[in-house]
Amino acid sequence: MRKIALVSAIVLLAAMLVPAMAWSAPKEIKIGVIYPLTGPAAAAGRELRAGAELAAEIANKVMPNINMDMAKNAGVKSMGGAKITLIIKDHQGNPQLGADLAKKLIKDDKVVGILGCYHSSVTKTVSAVCERYGVPMINGSSTSPTLTKRDFKWFWRTTPHDKWFTKDLFEFLVGLTKGRAKGVKAVPKQDLNPLAAACEKTEWGSNVAIEIKNFAKEYGFTLASDILYAAKSPDLSSEVQSMIAAKPGAMLFASYTSDALLMIKTLKSMKAKPKIIWGQDAGFDKPEFVALGDDIVGILTRSVFLPSVVKMKPLSGQVNDLYVKMMGHDLGGASARSFTGLQTWVYVLEKAGSTDPKAIQAACNTISIPGAQLVVPWVGIKFSTKGEEIGQNVLGGGLIGQYQKQKDGKIGLEVVYPFDIATAPMVYPFQGY
Amino acid sequence: MEELGIQILKSAVSGLIMGLVFALVALGLTVIFGVMDIVNFAHGEFLMVGMYTTLLTSPLLGVDPVLTLPLAGLVGAVLGVMCYFGLIRFLLRGPMIAQLFGTFGLMIFLRNLALLFMGSEPRIIHEGWLVGKSILVGPGVVLESTKVAAAALSLISFAVVWWFINRTRVGKAITATSLDAEGARYMGISTEYMNALAWAVGGASVGVAGGLLVNFWPVEPGVGLLFTMIAFATVALGGFGSVRGALVAGILIGFIVNLPPVWDAILRSIDAAGLRGMEIHSFKYTMVYAVYFLIMVLRPQGLFGWKQ
Repeated sequence: MRKIALVSAIVLLAAMLVPAMAWSAPKEIKIGVIYPLTGPAAAAGRELRAGAELAAEIANKVMPNINMDMAKNAGVKSMGGAKITLIIKDHQGNPQLGADLAKKLIKDDKVVGILGCYHSSVTKTVSAVCERYGVPMINGSSTSPTLTKRDFKWFWRTTPHDKWFTKDLFEFLVGLTKGRAKGVKAVPKQDLNPLAAACEKTEWGSNVAIEIKNFAKEYGFTLASDILYAAKSPDLSSEVQSMIAAKPGAMLFASYTSDALLMIKTLKSMKAKPKIIWGQDAGFDKPEFVALGDDIVGILTRSVFLPSVVKMKPLSGQVNDLYVKMMGHDLGGASARSFTGLQTWVYVLEKAGSTDPKAIQAACNTISIPGAQLVVPWVGIKFSTKGEEIGQNVLGGGLIGQYQKQKDGKIGLEVVYPFDIATAPMVYPFQGY
Repeated sequence: MEELGIQILKSAVSGLIMGLVFALVALGLTVIFGVMDIVNFAHGEFLMVGMYTTLLTSPLLGVDPVLTLPLAGLVGAVLGVMCYFGLIRFLLRGPMIAQLFGTFGLMIFLRNLALLFMGSEPRIIHEGWLVGKSILVGPGVVLESTKVAAAALSLISFAVVWWFINRTRVGKAITATSLDAEGARYMGISTEYMNALAWAVGGASVGVAGGLLVNFWPVEPGVGLLFTMIAFATVALGGFGSVRGALVAGILIGFIVNLPPVWDAILRSIDAAGLRGMEIHSFKYTMVYAVYFLIMVLRPQGLFGWKQ
């Protein structure tokens, strides 16, 4: 009898314990973060890392001053307040090293998922490793359109890619003809037509050139000059001569840093007078470019986050204040997107309520984060699950900034597109050289 | 058709100017090779040092970048002599391959030294007599002041070097050394001194070139490669060691890289819609190397070369 009572007690105790064990949430959730912390892109790497770390800090603490859901709880609420732990690795811009680090993070560190990797080439190899092991990966900052065209089941991207950015450009040009730009009356289309494009001829620039060509056709613009050039070229005068000879209304560029500087200097020396000059980020958004001073006033560049966004989005301002405390300068395109990448991870985990890959996959495929929660000026985050692209955020958007002289005499970027969030009247036409 | 005519004029003028710039950069390379049969792979890095010299000393001395050119030339000459006595002299004892790897190593060393001290960011000069200025020389033909100045310097440098080599006793000694070093030694010529002098002249000419080019081009540790690829083609095309050859080949290359706008103008003037999009800009350097290849096959010593 005593024996039966003992066994019954043990069984009862076990029955009580088993569900409790099964339901108990982990105390910490490990996310592997792979960024270029050394090498040529080290400066970008520092920003990316800081962006992710700030998002993790906000997720792990209660911060009443930040108007964001993840700032209201300490840790992931649906998992009993489990804290986010970042395991940060350096891929040095090397795709093979990135893949090796991803394997280590998955097998040795047992991470729940991965965030990274900035370089599209590294994101490509790392996401392939994640796909093989069935580990979720969220990418916040790689813009090669092909990444979400591989039908991957474990890869999601929050940032818009180059196709979207180029589409933004054409929406902007059309909006300009309809008088939607702040401070500019409707511009006749023939003033902007024809277009002349010069893109550097590696993977990135040549893809941008293709997008420009396709969208020009779709939006009814004539592309009179469509040039691919070597970024490491000692002279760009023949390219600029051809562009000027085409008498373009708008000149479009996809350039890295040195060639962007040489391009602007050559445009100036040849007295180019287009109405619009637009650059696809990269070389057009670097401190060295800003150092060109008055020569760049009026030039447009695409971006995803400009310091002037804080003027119209209080939440961005709140997060930016924390970032300034941490790094000594404003959030930028890299840090804001990395922040948003990790923030997406937190919301996905909150929705999944579990670290089970299948639950995370389901959460990613159904999540919808409203734009009001984000520091970047997007409609929100919602990933495509069917169609041409899989795992791409369909609610993202780019910005077009214009270099303008500010009150303190410094040259800074003001948002001119999307038109409804423009931070300053647009300077049109470009002053010409 | 009128547009085509103007474009041909524009391309010819800008080809001539750019060609003279290429020739200026190639001059030092051909002088060193002419005397010692050594290809200096670090030539572009000498150019980079000249660029940084002007970039750094101009604000430091509070003078216009153009006034620092003698200093850039001096730094180039000193660097050339240092390289000769510190490295090249020893390499001459070894086989040809040692000389190739030696100057290649020098290139990597100088570039990384610049990376260490100057960082990888491209830098530009913001103010100066030549910065941001251009000259209108004809109907729609605008030329960058820095390029025009570099072209003028190129002509002067070529004239001076030609005069020095052909009309002075020291120049004749250099020629004697390059033709037959052993024979020259028997005649009492210090070949060691002649070799060092060639490195000094080569270094000074490319140093001055760098000091002038930085008024327009951004400088970063890897900038040398942009120009040396062209400089090698220029020297090989003109004939290794030929001063006159470097000048002619430089101008020829200048013309070739300025062909694409003419092609575009032809397409526009005949309104060849079917051919539109057949841009040849991305192939402009391919054309340079195709001509180079052709001349190497037909005339291996180059246009004006005498050494094979």
